[in-house]
Amino acid sequence: MKKKNRRLAVVMVASIVAVIVILSVIVAATGYQQFTHVLERQYNDTAYEVAETALTYLDPDKLEGYLQSGQTDEEYDAILARLDELVVSSNCNFIYVAKIDETDYMTTTYIYDSVNPATGFSRYEFGYVSRDTDPKYVDDLKHILTTGGRAEKYLYSYTESGAHTTAGLAVQDSTGKVVAVIGVEKSMTVLYGARSTYVRWVVSIAAAMVALTLLAYLLWLNRMVIRPIAEITGEAKRFANDGENPVASLRATENRYEIGVLASSILKMEAEIKQYIDNLTAVTAEKERIGAELDIATHIQASMLPCIFPPFPDRSEFDIYASMNPAKEVGGDFYDFFMVDESHLAIVMADVSGKGVPAALFMVIGKTLIKDHTTPGRDLGEVFMEVNKLLCEGNGEELFITAFEGVLDLKTGQFNFVNAGHEMPFIRRQGRYTPEKIRAGFVLAGMDMTRYRMGSLQMEPGDAIFQYTDGVTEATNANNELYGMERLEAVLNKNAAAAPDKLLPAVKADIDAFVGDAPQFDDITMLSLEYKEKMK
Amino acid sequence: MTITKNQNGTHLDLALEGRLDTTTAPQLEAELKQSVGGVTELTLDFSQLEYLSSAGLRVLLSAQKVMNRQGSMVIKNVNETIMEIFEVTGFADILTIA
Repeated sequence: MKKKNRRLAVVMVASIVAVIVILSVIVAATGYQQFTHVLERQYNDTAYEVAETALTYLDPDKLEGYLQSGQTDEEYDAILARLDELVVSSNCNFIYVAKIDETDYMTTTYIYDSVNPATGFSRYEFGYVSRDTDPKYVDDLKHILTTGGRAEKYLYSYTESGAHTTAGLAVQDSTGKVVAVIGVEKSMTVLYGARSTYVRWVVSIAAAMVALTLLAYLLWLNRMVIRPIAEITGEAKRFANDGENPVASLRATENRYEIGVLASSILKMEAEIKQYIDNLTAVTAEKERIGAELDIATHIQASMLPCIFPPFPDRSEFDIYASMNPAKEVGGDFYDFFMVDESHLAIVMADVSGKGVPAALFMVIGKTLIKDHTTPGRDLGEVFMEVNKLLCEGNGEELFITAFEGVLDLKTGQFNFVNAGHEMPFIRRQGRYTPEKIRAGFVLAGMDMTRYRMGSLQMEPGDAIFQYTDGVTEATNANNELYGMERLEAVLNKNAAAAPDKLLPAVKADIDAFVGDAPQFDDITMLSLEYKEKMK
Repeated sequence: MTITKNQNGTHLDLALEGRLDTTTAPQLEAELKQSVGGVTELTLDFSQLEYLSSAGLRVLLSAQKVMNRQGSMVIKNVNETIMEIFEVTGFADILTIA
């Protein structure tokens, strides 16, 4: 993280330096150009002043004559002497008057030529012809000769001998005809020195400014950006490691730019995350505790149902098997079986409305009450009426139980039963299971004045009874189809000869195959009792 | 499950559509708790109801108990499957089925 910050600073500083350097170069270059331009202009103006002065010395009307005759006179010598004086006093290099061939502007015939002795050159004598005029001067010469005005561009040359500027003017005779051109070349001696001094100054001032600005900027950047960001980064790293609240607030929160907002937000976020984690920890702990207690509840509930098979290994008169698969951790279904006395076996199958813990608690009460009230010789209708009354007291949740209880007299095969809103049982007679249509009373714990009537049927050795809850017939597949009575009857008869402990797994397997991947909504509880022989 | 509510003064009509089971029964329970105050005639229309579980029966029993105190409750358009459930569980005896 620290590495990244450093790189950020480097990039920021480098870009600032680059911008300042580019700006300085542009300013220096522009200044340099302007400076040169002004100096050149100055020198050129001076050269023109000299040319104007020299022009007054001339007698233009005579120039044609000189050229035609090839002879000069005393006046010519006097003028040349004055021009020689002027070239020295005005500190020019050359002052010359020449005739330009107007066919190509390339041929120059010198009339006067004064040379400053300081240049070391010697003059062109009268009548000297030069044919090598630099082509770049041609346009200017043409302009001077045809308009009689100044050259449009400055005439400059930068050679090894130094910088020069030339002024050129037309020489007109008394009729206004241009007869020659006068040229004055002046050396721009100061230009080089002044220019390099200028550049040195600009560069050093710019460098100093860059250094100062940079220093100030770096200090500011460090104070206002780098350090606060490093602090925030450090804080974030610390929090990521230990997840504890910060010991002190961040200095960066006092930052007046966005960084201040960032720092405050980080602190706020940390506090919220901490609080959230604490809450989550508490909730998770609570959830684990509840989960553990639910496990215990499931265990208690499971152990309340008889689950050791065979339960009565010394009994040869009957065979019994039961199973329960809860949909949630603790279910509302229950089964029970117990010996009322030596020769009477009771079976109970019940389903509490609703699911989860409330249903399980209600189930425990219901199961205990039914077992407690089933005493030898008692009418089952009375048992249910009493149990119903007790369940109705303090039933704030308005839960209810559908229940079926039957008592088999092992000596006679008489099977007494009572039904409180429960599914009808299947009875196997002569190797065939059929649903036994028995009258049902209202559910338990629904209405406290409900009356229940005991029914009775006769079972012979070899007959069997299959009882279940609605979780079996209402098991639902992915297409929302119910398992139903027909499928149940079919699978029972397919396994009609099976012993109870083989029959129930076979039914369960058939239900599972039907349901497929669809979730199980309800507890699946079944009980099978086979009456094998009469008790002696 | 979809519940279509139609209230007219002290008459409340609820039409149920779909499955009334463990997962949807709390929906009907909440709807009844909210709307049944002051109602003297509650009508439940079961013509579009496909399935009814014991959790649904429990809500019907609660509603019947409430309506016993403040008026009457009628269930209409009960199909064969659900009628069978009412008969098997004995609910047919305590409910008014029209």
